[in-house]
Amino acid sequence: MRRIVAGVVAAAAAIAVLAFCGLALGHAPAELLRVAIRGSVGSPFALQGTIVKSIPLLLTGLSVAVAFRAGVWNIGAEGQFIVGALAAFVAAPWGLTAALIVSIAAGAVWASIATALRFWRGAPEVLTTILLNFVGLHLLGWAVNGPLQERIAQYPQTDPIPSSAALPRFGLTSLHAGIVIAVVVCIALWIFLERTTEGLRMRATGFNASAAQWAGVNVTLQIAGAMAISGGVAGLAGGIELLGVTHRLFELFAAGYGYSGIAVALLAQLHPIGTLVSALFFGALQTAAGELQRSANISITVATFGQAVVILTIIGFGSFRARD
Amino acid sequence: MHAIDFLLLAITASTPLLLAVEGEVVVQRSGIINLGIEGMMLAAAMGSVIAAQLTNRIAFGFAGGIAGAALLGALFGFFAIVLRADQIVTGTAINLLALGITGFIYRELQQSEIFARAVQFRGRNLVVPLAWIAVPIVLAIVLWRTIFGLRLRACGENPEAVTAARASVAGHRWAALGIESILVGIAGAYLALALSSGFAENMTAGRGYIALSIVIFGRWKMKGVLLGTALFGVAAAGQYALQAAGHALPFHLLLAIPYVVTLLILCGIAGRVRAPESLGRA
Amino acid sequence: MILNLAHIRRTFGATVALDDVSLSAGPGEIIGIIGENGAGKTTLMRIIAGEIVPDAGSVAVDGTVGFVHQHFMLVSEFTIAENLALAAGSMHPPVSFERPRRLVRELSVGERSKLELAKAIAGRPRVLILDEPTSVLTPVEAEDLFQTMRLLADSGTCVLLISHKIREVLGVATRTVVMRRGRIVAENLSAEAMARAMVDVPVEPGRSRSNRTASGREADESRLYRPGQIAAIIGVAGNGQVELATRLRDTLARASAAHIPEDRTRDGFVAEMSIAENIALLAGVRGARARAARLIETYGIRASGPEQRAGSLSGGNQQKLLLARELDRNPKIIIAAEPTRGLDFESTRFVHQQLRAAAERGAAIVLITSDLDEAFALADEIRVIYRGRLSEPLTPAEASERAGRLMAGLE
Repeated sequence: MRRIVAGVVAAAAAIAVLAFCGLALGHAPAELLRVAIRGSVGSPFALQGTIVKSIPLLLTGLSVAVAFRAGVWNIGAEGQFIVGALAAFVAAPWGLTAALIVSIAAGAVWASIATALRFWRGAPEVLTTILLNFVGLHLLGWAVNGPLQERIAQYPQTDPIPSSAALPRFGLTSLHAGIVIAVVVCIALWIFLERTTEGLRMRATGFNASAAQWAGVNVTLQIAGAMAISGGVAGLAGGIELLGVTHRLFELFAAGYGYSGIAVALLAQLHPIGTLVSALFFGALQTAAGELQRSANISITVATFGQAVVILTIIGFGSFRARD
Repeated sequence: MHAIDFLLLAITASTPLLLAVEGEVVVQRSGIINLGIEGMMLAAAMGSVIAAQLTNRIAFGFAGGIAGAALLGALFGFFAIVLRADQIVTGTAINLLALGITGFIYRELQQSEIFARAVQFRGRNLVVPLAWIAVPIVLAIVLWRTIFGLRLRACGENPEAVTAARASVAGHRWAALGIESILVGIAGAYLALALSSGFAENMTAGRGYIALSIVIFGRWKMKGVLLGTALFGVAAAGQYALQAAGHALPFHLLLAIPYVVTLLILCGIAGRVRAPESLGRA
Repeated sequence: MILNLAHIRRTFGATVALDDVSLSAGPGEIIGIIGENGAGKTTLMRIIAGEIVPDAGSVAVDGTVGFVHQHFMLVSEFTIAENLALAAGSMHPPVSFERPRRLVRELSVGERSKLELAKAIAGRPRVLILDEPTSVLTPVEAEDLFQTMRLLADSGTCVLLISHKIREVLGVATRTVVMRRGRIVAENLSAEAMARAMVDVPVEPGRSRSNRTASGREADESRLYRPGQIAAIIGVAGNGQVELATRLRDTLARASAAHIPEDRTRDGFVAEMSIAENIALLAGVRGARARAARLIETYGIRASGPEQRAGSLSGGNQQKLLLARELDRNPKIIIAAEPTRGLDFESTRFVHQQLRAAAERGAAIVLITSDLDEAFALADEIRVIYRGRLSEPLTPAEASERAGRLMAGLE
């Protein structure tokens, strides 16, 4: 339960730091807080926005959490998100299910490039996954400016996906069926990690690969599997964002969801169920920042800053713990 | 484009990269992985622009760059050395922090003098020979021929041996971070003041990560990283040349070239690379 | 007197490492300090060397102290010269070594030991401490070391030798001191008396092996292991034992083979996971908790329950956990590397019992050990490993004659 305390402290610290910065820039913290709450949970509309923003965060958070627990440094969720969305767009004409499956596969393959480079060439995945992020980013740029650009060729974006491929919405809200998928994936991963033998082996690989190997675990398989699952989930995040929210691709589609996933995962202490709560927190942070930009003209980049503060607080707290 | 011009372009354009690589070699030799050089360089870029525009002196601009890098470097050092926190996560957080802060400052002050006016960089370019000749020689001598350098390298191989010899592991790692902060500070300043005409959001564009890759390729030695950066510089210059020549190759795919080249560089390690023994271990 | 310790006390958290220890020594003495693991020997030496300070009591040393650690403080990627420079704090250290441009990683274990010694005596210390120096040496190299110690003592140095090998210490020491549980309990005893004082349990005169008949000793069978047999592989540490154990781990089918790795704390179990989870790694998660509870009972593991973190168990209990995990599956082959390293007397006896029982059940056991006593007590046949190659199988009688030479590569 100390973990939950650590998470709450980290979240509170982030808010405190942000409030302090707001103060330093001449804004009243109480006012800022009021605007932030209004923008994130203050109305049904705001709440919907927060939940919708939380969905990709939940999935990229899960992606990072699975990888980190297996001891694999997948910093490539951003690129896997993009590639998943690209693949989903291309497969959209074949229907919703096909698009979702393809997004998972594409993300898994993109991540597996890094796995292959690690085992074949000793290239550390912490670097290769990041480099692949940039490659994916420019792949998207090329696609929306070139082969996949909208027919009228006015903006760097694609045409919308056929409505048969779109994720259904709940009534008149902006909430889409992706919520269900994301929650199901969350629960499935929790069961896998905490309740199955293979999940146990994956966690053991993350704690101590050497001891796991002596205990008969196929460490190579676990690493490859963890990367594939991680990439697949991130790819699914991209696919769902496309099919449920934006319905078309454009240059800034990814918007940092992949890197935010790291903050989400760490705040949740890499626990699948905790990731649900963590994703909601960061989703709220995002919508709050949007409202702050609208009302108080504070740049939306505070959200990125807030994520960094959370990460640093969590690991700072973690290492204090490790010392006693 | 003439061959000479091409080579000059390659060398000049990759000078910030080289400085970052040289700094990271020192730090990794002391046993720490600093993924945060991306953020440090970005902070240096912003710091240098602010300082240069406010004082109208380029020298102060470079000082501002070093200050920006050092601030984040100190933060990284606090977490990695004092708290013994995970270095990879800390480095990633530093990068996010830099992105957030510089983005915030830029947008807030976008209209102001500092960022609206282009930077004018005049005068002798000392940074390129510094980076390509002076720094590698000095670092090679310090690391391999002085007792300070010996102890620093021992920190990256077997810190226990350093403690047994009554020297401070933490002290040497902080010194390494200090050296890196200076070099990365100059790199960011040069990027913003000389190679560009000011600050732009996310202007480092992954140079920090490319630098990390070249450190590995160069096997943590001066000669190797000089070669690696030169190779990369040629490839990057090739990209610019292709762009300028208006080739049929799509613009965005050209933008991806540096990263693909870096991936190939990482593949060129050919399996067995021996990193400093205690690298990354708290 | 060059060394004077009075009423030293030192605790680490709740553990009392040293409890009212007093010791004085003069030039030319070679003092053997005997004791089991955890007796406080190394802590005492670290206090003498100034690495740590006592909680109470006084330390007076007239001069500098050289310390040859048990685990080498060498940088294997540096040259000999660089290592000497590091230790001396100067790029031109006042000590020489033959062919100093060689990389330490190319040196044999014996040469590294010499280098550690050179580092320690470079500053001409008045007190020289050696912590278990012969654990990685051949008998011949050990004798060389003792000669050097005698020469140093003759020139006025006070030498402190930590060891748990009673016979060796008696061969070189001018005075002996026995430590147990943080106190000095006896001085200058005979060998048997020392052994008793060390462990508080009567030493069995000669552990006898049970009457097992070899199952069909085929004359030209060169296989490493046979059902029902314990085959011991002895040798100085660093001659390929780890590589052999790892090779066997990777080639034998994991389902019917049990592996006890040499580095128990790093490779034997996942410290962050519970006892039940560690067992489930091999046996599966279904019924893991019940299985773990049963094994805790059967093997007498001192733990609060299946949910206890494996890393918080004591050394002996960790080894029991490892054995439980491996032996419960009734393996046909058992590869045990240094299974009793660092264990106290009770735990060692337990491990030996388990191995013998497994052999009686028909398992083939390969025992890789650097403890000659253990090998001779348990094995039906003995091989010597030297630079990665195995000798032909020897009977215990043959081995006691030839082991020394084989271990040094002289045959």
